[in-house]
Amino acid sequence: MPQPYKRSRSLRRVHIRVPGGKTKLHYRKRKPGKAHCSSCGAVLKGVLRERPNKMSSIPKTKKRPERPYAGSLCSKCMRLLIIGKARSL
Amino acid sequence: MIEIGRLCIKTAGRDAGLRCVIVDILDNKFVLIDGETRRRKCNILHLEPLKDVIKIKKNASHDEIKKEFEKLGLKARDTKPKQKTQKPVKQKKKEKPAEGQKKKKEAKKKPVKKEESGESGIDEKISAEEKKDKPKKPGRKAKK
Repeated sequence: MPQPYKRSRSLRRVHIRVPGGKTKLHYRKRKPGKAHCSSCGAVLKGVLRERPNKMSSIPKTKKRPERPYAGSLCSKCMRLLIIGKARSL
Repeated sequence: MIEIGRLCIKTAGRDAGLRCVIVDILDNKFVLIDGETRRRKCNILHLEPLKDVIKIKKNASHDEIKKEFEKLGLKARDTKPKQKTQKPVKQKKKEKPAEGQKKKKEAKKKPVKKEESGESGIDEKISAEEKKDKPKKPGRKAKK
């Protein structure tokens, strides 16, 4: 029997071709969930989904869109917020 | 609402939330804007007009808008124009001839020194020929 942590589905499975020609099962940690808009809940586009150790090696501009509130609000909600602020002036 | 000199807030893109002035009306859809944002063409739908209007001429330059914005207490964005540089290609071309020139100079220098030592012209020629022959032979041997 495989070890208990390999029997649960908490790790994702990757079939990898070994230099000897065989395919082997490797166990890897799962990616974090998709980012969502904090006001409407829609899935955010252009926001990267990686483990923290890989995220730290990637430049900031590749991880989210380059606009205010990027990574937390979707573009529609951001636009509504800014329009609201402009009209209240 | 859309007129030259109208203050607006940009609502889309990387300049969203920044104030700008309409400098020129290009189309029934597009205007030219400048100010805290980059000086650029912009869709009217991406602008939220404000109450204030500034007195500026059509197609006013960036410096004029900068002065007007300083009166309002805002900072206009200065963009640095990119300088076109093709240095890496040129350097490579320069380096190769430079090396060749150096070799030629060295070759010229050696006979000059010998001129000082041996004064007669014929001797110089002979000596130069000998020197030419000498470096070639060890080079061939080294290759072998």
